[in-house]
Amino acid sequence: MLADALLRTVAGTSALLRVTGPTTDTNMSELGLVATTFADVVVSPVVMRKLRPTWQEGGESKWELLVSATGVQQQVSALDLASAQSLFAMTLAVTVAGQDYLIESIASNEAFGQVYLYRLLLREARQQAV
Amino acid sequence: MQNAKDSFYMALRTRLTTINPERTFLLRGAVRPGILVEEAEAPFSQPPNDVFILRWLALGVDTDLGSTMAAEECEIAYQTCGTQSFGGLDRGRSLSEMDEELIAMLQPFYTPKLNYTATPPAAMLTQVFWDEPGFGPAVVQRDRLSRSAKVMVYSYQEQGE
Repeated sequence: MLADALLRTVAGTSALLRVTGPTTDTNMSELGLVATTFADVVVSPVVMRKLRPTWQEGGESKWELLVSATGVQQQVSALDLASAQSLFAMTLAVTVAGQDYLIESIASNEAFGQVYLYRLLLREARQQAV
Repeated sequence: MQNAKDSFYMALRTRLTTINPERTFLLRGAVRPGILVEEAEAPFSQPPNDVFILRWLALGVDTDLGSTMAAEECEIAYQTCGTQSFGGLDRGRSLSEMDEELIAMLQPFYTPKLNYTATPPAAMLTQVFWDEPGFGPAVVQRDRLSRSAKVMVYSYQEQGE
């Protein structure tokens, strides 16, 4: 709860996790022939911050998304998943303010044995054909 | 060439379920046989362990024949960290197991060509065939062992392809 309050005080917003539908195991989806069913899962509060690694030619910008663990837990319960890791494993992309990002890695911060914040390292996704 | 690529993947996938039904993994919320086409999945920050990953590379076309023949190079990459119960000390054995499974999956070196855009998949007139795999050296990255094999996959272009 304290993490939520802190995230909100620094202009906390919401992010959309694009997760795959539950029944996706068909030959056609494995071949990229049919679009998998997607659902957008809202998590909040979140805060984005841009990382400044060594810039490389052609390299996309990297960002860190700080996500409230309570917001994630609500969605884990709503989707009847085993853990937050399962939710992130199902996530194809993260959308914040209309921009899509791909998850590079996930870390979490804990206090007294409980996760209070997830830190998602994100990379800007390239534009896809309409 | 897409029908040949699809048929090649589906042949290997079907054969893997017979050779080692235990080799499965969780992707997009579904448990699947441990093989995937890289270009048909979301980009990976880390490729999954103990899974065969098909990657399509070079393409060649021979138009001097009665029917145009296309050849596409398929790289099959796989990696393992061994098993938890052995503390990863069996990673060499796990890689050997995957080597053997891959050799078995590739035999016989042909499969019927099917059009998977139709439901059910429609059989075509020709077959997809390939040559023997060329295995690369095992690559050690700390606790991870990986290898890739390359196979040339051939098919004749049929009417309407």
